[in-house]
Amino acid sequence: MSPTIEITFTLNGMPKRISVDPTLSTLVMLREILGLTGTKYGCGEGECGACTILVDGKSANACLMFAADCDGRAIVTIEGVAIDRSADGLRQAFVDHGGVQCGFCTPGMVVQAKHTLDKQPHADRATIKRGLEGNICRCTGYKKIVDAVAAVSGTNS
Amino acid sequence: MTVIEKDSLIGKRLTKMDAPEKTAGKTRYIHDINLPGQLVGMILRTDRVHAIIKSIDTSAARALPGVHAVLTAKDLPQKGLGVNKDNPPLKGERVRCERDEIAAVAAESEEIAAQALRLIKVEYEDLAPLFDPEAALRPGAPVIHESKPDNVAMAFDYSHGDVVAGEAESDVVVEDTFTLHRVTHCCMGVSGIIADFEATSGNLTLYSNTQVPFLHKREFAEVLGMDPGRIRIIQPPIGGGFGSKLDIYPFEPICVYLAQATRRPVKLVFTRAEEFLASPTRQPAIVRLRSGAKKDGTLTFRTVDILLDNGGYTSWGATIPFVMMQTFSSLYRVPHCLYHTKAVYTNNPYAGSFRGYGNLQATFAIEAHMDKMADAIGMDALDFRMKNAQVAGEVTPQGMDFKTCGLQDCLTLAARDSDFAAKRSAYAARKGAVGGVKRGIGMASMLHVGGGAKIYPSDGCGTNIKLDDFGHVTIMTGASEIGQGSETVLAQLVCEELGVPMSAVTVVNNDTDITPWDVGVHASRTTFIAGNSAVGAARKAKAKILAAAAGLSNLPAEQLDLRGGHVIRAEDGESVMPLAKLLRSLHFSDKAELVTTSHYYEPPSVHQDKGFKGNVSAAYAWATQVVEIEVDTDTGIVTLLKVWAAHDVGRVLNRLGIEGQIEGGIVMGQGYALTEDMIMVEGHLKNAGFTDYKLITAPEIPEMSIEFIETMDGEGPQGAKGVGEAPAICMAAAIGNAIENATGVRLTSLPFTPERVYRGLKQGAAS
Amino acid sequence: MTAIERYLAPASLDDALAALAGGNATILAGGTDLMVQSHGGKTRLRPVLLNIRRLPELAGHSIEGESVRIGALTTINQLREDATLAKALPLLAEAADRFASDQVRNMATIGGNVCNASPAGDTLVPLLVLDAEVELASASGRRRLPINGFFTGPGRTLRQPEELLTAIYVPMPRLRTVSRFVKFGTRPALDISAVSLGFKAELTPAGLANVRVAFGAVGPTPMRGPGTEALLEGQRLTPALIAKAAETAMAEITPIDDVRATAWYRRELVHNLLRKVLNDVADH
Repeated sequence: MSPTIEITFTLNGMPKRISVDPTLSTLVMLREILGLTGTKYGCGEGECGACTILVDGKSANACLMFAADCDGRAIVTIEGVAIDRSADGLRQAFVDHGGVQCGFCTPGMVVQAKHTLDKQPHADRATIKRGLEGNICRCTGYKKIVDAVAAVSGTNS
Repeated sequence: MTVIEKDSLIGKRLTKMDAPEKTAGKTRYIHDINLPGQLVGMILRTDRVHAIIKSIDTSAARALPGVHAVLTAKDLPQKGLGVNKDNPPLKGERVRCERDEIAAVAAESEEIAAQALRLIKVEYEDLAPLFDPEAALRPGAPVIHESKPDNVAMAFDYSHGDVVAGEAESDVVVEDTFTLHRVTHCCMGVSGIIADFEATSGNLTLYSNTQVPFLHKREFAEVLGMDPGRIRIIQPPIGGGFGSKLDIYPFEPICVYLAQATRRPVKLVFTRAEEFLASPTRQPAIVRLRSGAKKDGTLTFRTVDILLDNGGYTSWGATIPFVMMQTFSSLYRVPHCLYHTKAVYTNNPYAGSFRGYGNLQATFAIEAHMDKMADAIGMDALDFRMKNAQVAGEVTPQGMDFKTCGLQDCLTLAARDSDFAAKRSAYAARKGAVGGVKRGIGMASMLHVGGGAKIYPSDGCGTNIKLDDFGHVTIMTGASEIGQGSETVLAQLVCEELGVPMSAVTVVNNDTDITPWDVGVHASRTTFIAGNSAVGAARKAKAKILAAAAGLSNLPAEQLDLRGGHVIRAEDGESVMPLAKLLRSLHFSDKAELVTTSHYYEPPSVHQDKGFKGNVSAAYAWATQVVEIEVDTDTGIVTLLKVWAAHDVGRVLNRLGIEGQIEGGIVMGQGYALTEDMIMVEGHLKNAGFTDYKLITAPEIPEMSIEFIETMDGEGPQGAKGVGEAPAICMAAAIGNAIENATGVRLTSLPFTPERVYRGLKQGAAS
Repeated sequence: MTAIERYLAPASLDDALAALAGGNATILAGGTDLMVQSHGGKTRLRPVLLNIRRLPELAGHSIEGESVRIGALTTINQLREDATLAKALPLLAEAADRFASDQVRNMATIGGNVCNASPAGDTLVPLLVLDAEVELASASGRRRLPINGFFTGPGRTLRQPEELLTAIYVPMPRLRTVSRFVKFGTRPALDISAVSLGFKAELTPAGLANVRVAFGAVGPTPMRGPGTEALLEGQRLTPALIAKAAETAMAEITPIDDVRATAWYRRELVHNLLRKVLNDVADH
């Protein structure tokens, strides 16, 4: 076992201080140590986006990020997005437009969609699709997810 | 007085009931559940493809601190799993494919479990391997299972008419060999199970991803030698199914054995790489098809010979010929049909059930020949299909009774919307295997069961309904929800009967101690079978409510109805009393009574006879899909531009839900056709991850235009038929036809990945 | 996963270089490659895990004379989206656009992509055709090396274990320079390239000058195509020359068969894609 190191960061707006093994991934820290299971394991290789979180406002694959690297940063998970009233419209759009089926990709999709819209509030469909290119969904065929995000960006045709 | 306006939920866009929690990350899948004191279960898999196990030394693993159990085959009763019962949970004598389970550990952490696996020493003696299904049938081929010396795991034969006579009257005969590849489900939620066993009571609680809980309860009891009454299966929300969770797989009983051995709960969850290695696949197939037609466009005969690569063991994949033969015999009217299929053992991964169940493979071959024959006799490809398409009222030689059939409407609409005829001839005039980017259009149609499939003693589903004293309805259904939206459609059907809003309904569908029996989620049956069951239970509840209301209102029950949460007068919609008030008055009266009802629905289908004849489903779904593509002849990249899909769905119940099913199926079919491929080299999977097993991503999806044909099936709930599998079935066939239209080259092997297409075009241009 | 003895996240370059001096540290920047490689057992972590993310010297970018200095910690999305960088080095922005996914582009750094030295590394082909140089620092000094020759094998470079890649210098393309980047694949990004190709040349009245051609995923390292470059240098693009250049390119690459493509197909792709690029430049 490696020596643990102490890190401090904000998690969904609250300060956190914990000790982690320096080789631990942020995904495992969130799910298994902090009990925030909304962030999903889909591949562990940064290929599926199910573990997407926001790090200092930018989206990242929690499975690729060393937990130690959270030190000093602001981390927002799907649980943080869910308590953010400004994101209610986006989540409701996923519901209203049928962007959710089995739902396993949904938390990562919502977080990545939020990041895409934070960057470009009026993103068009092509930009939205590129924004979501790192998030795999096996159920929906993506169209309704793109519809949902485009409804928020005001570019649904 | 209040008048309640008439309203209907049927055909509306209803949002999925569990979607809000899912968008909040609050839904707890099996991966998110942890029981106090649980151990981590992990499986050692072989790295050999065919070998005798000489010895397994687990002593070092057992000695590792934090390890609570190490199991090998000699610790377990040797009972086989699967359709042929040929797959013991742990292999003790011999391994037959690289996913084979050799040993299992339960440990205090993932790290310890992984380290324990590394400490297990296995000695093997390699056996001659067998990878090629054609070689499996040759004399002297390695025998994979001693009980099947010819390597044939299963064989299906079917015929009607006389193909020799059919061929004699043909003006054109075409023959091809089609090679279909191996793909896998890639559910976003990897497989997993939690077993919690209490030794003194013998109670076993399983948290499982199964899509057939009641069949699994029986099978677990058999394998484990337990009283089924002691087994409770709880299904947390499932991260995708698509057929993958239809069989018991070795990891499931292994986890139970670990829990029994340690007396602690054990959780066993796959990694993504393990999911690729150890989940079932779609059945790879070699399809030899010979078809004939007359000059006037009448189909004359079809001779089909199919070889399926069953892999090392037999799961449901071996039974897909059952579905394939329906398409060969009955998608179009064929007077003479002869059909042979063999599923043969090899040392490859074994195949399971997968959305479409053989129909993607069958449709790929048939629809290629429909184009080829139309071109050979100089007939328009649409007209040729229209001439041979099934129509309502037809009973096929196989015994399938098409009480409703929208195939001709599907063909007509998809062709009209896509401008098929004009584009097909315009692109054909410019077609070529070289010279930049070429455009093509292609069409394919499909037939699939849409009213269940009677392959088990019962094809039924039970529903219990209870109403509480606030007018809230709880539906307890046997039908599992795997993301397809069954809970929403069942609630909708019940709301329609009871005149209550969707918000008044809770669906319980995930606990075998509570829910009534159901055969499982497969064969596109849930909307139809569980839907009819729910409607039946709701109608019984309604009758009970109206009878009670009649007693209170002095109006005969026949003049009453339920609407908007009220008991109303049927003739003018005037509220007689709120439903909740009526329920409370029943509940709190001298003759206190709760409204609860129960209904079991068994569809009016029949078991097929030994010759596979009989009306196996209560209804049939139909579809035509047209695709427009571009082929870059410099790279072989095929780009899917647009899909026009026309589906006979009986009736649209939840428009949002059914669109989602069809779009998702189209994109799954796109992946099957263009990007997905399990790359096997001598039995070893070379792309066990999303880096090189390519699922379709958001920027790659086509434009999709969907038409619904409502044939109002008399047996379906509100006229609906099942549609879950249908949309994935046509895509590869239509894309193959479009590539031919664009380039003039007929590619008979899937997938159409760039290198394979490029190579095919080079060969096509050279010949 | 390998256990480590120490984790360091220094705030100054000197501290970082001191930690590297023994040559027993693994450098962590974006982490997107390191996490997968170390968990998969492909890379064994050294005793010290050195997180360089807090080093201010490695962040940001600036124009220095005729060159752009890109700090090693510059993320792929910064290459793609930073207006100054994208304007100065459009080829690099284009390659960044084809890189992995938005999430990975937010994390991954150009320094990491260079040091990871994958034959298919998306930024490497543009850096080769742009004549980039890498700056390496160690406790004993600094040196600058041309990127052409920096890669010595899959995952291997001339960087020594005690050295840190601090920045990349890219000469600004001169006026009348045309450049092209092609990454073969069915997706816009999220794809490990089976073949990529870069081209740069100045269009002069006499013909093409300072021609650079480079290829990715067709050999053990990303590679220049010296034969193709020599053939094109000083020439005007004619159909015959384009055909010959495509033939030359496919002959001078050294591809292998792997899960993504056969060597045969990679040669065909390089041939056809270079022909397409040169036809496009000729029409320019």
